[in-house]
Amino acid sequence: MKKRHLPIAILATAALSLSACSSGGNNGTDAEGETLDVWIMQGTNTESDDFFDRVSDAFNERTGATLNVEMVQWADAHDRFVTAIAGGTTPDIAETGTTWTAEFAEAGALAPIDDYIADAGLDGKLVEGLVESGTLDDALYGMPWYAGVRSVVYRTDLFDAAGVAVPTTWAEFQDAALALKQSNPDIIPFPVAGDAEYLAYPWVWGAGGEVATKSGDTWTSGLDSSEAREGIQFYTDLALKDGTSTAGATTWKETDILDNFAQGKVGMAIMGSWTPATILEKNPELEGKIGSFPIPGQDSGISPSMLGGSHLAMFESSGNKDLGWEFMDLMTTGEFATEWATQSGYFPGETSALDATVAEADDITKAFADQMVEAGAALPVTPKFGAVQAKKTTNTMIQSILSGEKTVEQATADAASEMTAILNEK
Amino acid sequence: MTTKVQSPADAGRPRSSSAGGPSRRRSGAAAIASARPWLLLTPALAVLALLLLWPLIRVVLFSFQDYGLRQIVSGETNFIGAGNYVEALTDSQLWSVVLPNTILFAVTAVLCTVVLGTLVAILMTNLGVFWRTVVGSAIMVAWAMPAVTGTYVWVWIFDADNGIVNQLLMGAGLMDEPFNWFTNRWTFYLIVLINVVHHGFPFVAITVMAGLLGVSKEMLEAAEMDGAGAFRRFFQIVFPSLRQVFAVVIILSTIWDFKVFGQVYLMPGGSGTNRSVLNLGVWSYVESFGQNRYGFGSAIAVLLTLVLLAITVIYIRVLMKEDEL
Repeated sequence: MKKRHLPIAILATAALSLSACSSGGNNGTDAEGETLDVWIMQGTNTESDDFFDRVSDAFNERTGATLNVEMVQWADAHDRFVTAIAGGTTPDIAETGTTWTAEFAEAGALAPIDDYIADAGLDGKLVEGLVESGTLDDALYGMPWYAGVRSVVYRTDLFDAAGVAVPTTWAEFQDAALALKQSNPDIIPFPVAGDAEYLAYPWVWGAGGEVATKSGDTWTSGLDSSEAREGIQFYTDLALKDGTSTAGATTWKETDILDNFAQGKVGMAIMGSWTPATILEKNPELEGKIGSFPIPGQDSGISPSMLGGSHLAMFESSGNKDLGWEFMDLMTTGEFATEWATQSGYFPGETSALDATVAEADDITKAFADQMVEAGAALPVTPKFGAVQAKKTTNTMIQSILSGEKTVEQATADAASEMTAILNEK
Repeated sequence: MTTKVQSPADAGRPRSSSAGGPSRRRSGAAAIASARPWLLLTPALAVLALLLLWPLIRVVLFSFQDYGLRQIVSGETNFIGAGNYVEALTDSQLWSVVLPNTILFAVTAVLCTVVLGTLVAILMTNLGVFWRTVVGSAIMVAWAMPAVTGTYVWVWIFDADNGIVNQLLMGAGLMDEPFNWFTNRWTFYLIVLINVVHHGFPFVAITVMAGLLGVSKEMLEAAEMDGAGAFRRFFQIVFPSLRQVFAVVIILSTIWDFKVFGQVYLMPGGSGTNRSVLNLGVWSYVESFGQNRYGFGSAIAVLLTLVLLAITVIYIRVLMKEDEL
């Protein structure tokens, strides 16, 4: 009999603590003896062990429950989720990449969290791009945790040697790449990677194109529009006409760019806000020699870049939803949110924490912050976009242009029709 | 408490009682004798049924369903008849790119693996103990290397910017600027071929060598006395007596080379961005599991199994005489 009353007791206490939270207090729930299972992706933050030790303590203090954090590799995380769902062994809460949340939500594996958000008074206080990617059919499934964005990372010493200033338009960007090539023929001025779709979208958006748009119930890919073609032409011509890239980059992924940059072989490249720390860790000699600037707009301003990152999502099968929300709230708002973001080179998903991070940002982070706040963009929000990415539609397009297999017109037309077809599958 | 005391005694009783009754013992012994092979096989069969048969049945069941994440979550079935099979067999990419790549590659790779393996085996039988050990150890290293590691080594060797092949060719003045070997369908598969043959020939060499050591020396000597050359001796004496060995080696190589996945998927551009190098393994992964279409993937797996079964049956019939079957 005692057991049957326990969940009700937890519910009541959790509800109490919820209202306590929104009024700023923190008097703790009593979930003594309960355990909350959480999956977190490995590799985002090098100091995650210490971080989660302290989160566990704080969580235990706040709720009385034990936190069981399991680190999961990004590479096999998707498979782990699927097998866990099939076997009924899902955790209570998990970190989900922004592109996965809608997919798992559509399958019915995740629980909507709108009520919790409203009760906690967080409506309108979460970063827009992350809310957008965590929403399916007007319900929010992913609690914005952290966001990352890609901008240009460059070698300040090589720029000085070539006598170029930070470019602010595409024409200046092209000139800078050519000047780098002239002054130092041994480096790769600007690699154009053929297997990295996120590095191609800024040029599509920057020229005024769209990846895909929805009208009514029908999706249409905009990759074959004249604007998108202009952007893709400019981007691939940097490699094909100006020779700022290499033959090898035709099959590069983003990790190859990072490796080559860390080896000191690259002048400038589009890279994530989380990469400068990794570069310096791999090659401390580059300390003080790297900087960053937002991806220039075609004629002025900033070209939009994909806002990526992670949500915390609650599984429908969790028997401890209120306790789970306590954890989500602890992680995504306030001190822990800011600390995680600062340590890992990301930005918090809650606006006040974001403002705090941006205010303290160093020079390198500043450019990423500008990029994110002024020109953070989202990919089409539909579970079907995961299928587009699995089929590598955009990557195929870029690679076939770079390898000379197809012209820009042909490649964009093929990619657009394939994307439109996949997005409109029932 | 009483039942607990009785049960060990019960367990001991059947043995003593059957020893007491001679007639019961005889019929019981006969029954046990005929059942013994099955009794001994039971654990293995149970494990096989659990680990192989049940998953096999599930795969066939899935292949007739539109089975995705939603079905995994809800546990519902969603039968759509032969829809997955129709979709797989009417895909134009399958016939124009995927199957030609897969079949041409498998044929070439099996041929190269078996020929190279046999040559190495012949070499080894002609070596002294010391050199045989040296060569044996060397090819064991190639065999023991995990496929993933091997693939990365070959990718690194053929890397466009820093790879040794491009540097040698450019240093020798045969090439003006670096060439990306992974963007061209033929050079891509040439690298896969080198990788797969390098990884696969040691098995053939060791197996064939074991067979070669069993070929009767007298027969070879007699043939030599009669004036038969090395080629004639190999094809008229050695090959016929190694027929079963070659059957096994060729069938296994065919199965392995037909469903090559990692060695292609891990190559630059091999995971789907270069559509002209898709093979059956990568294509089915990208089309099904990459997009959470487990039913479609199961249908492809069933088709692949049927094709490999057919190939195996043909091989066995061709390579073995009726009475050997």
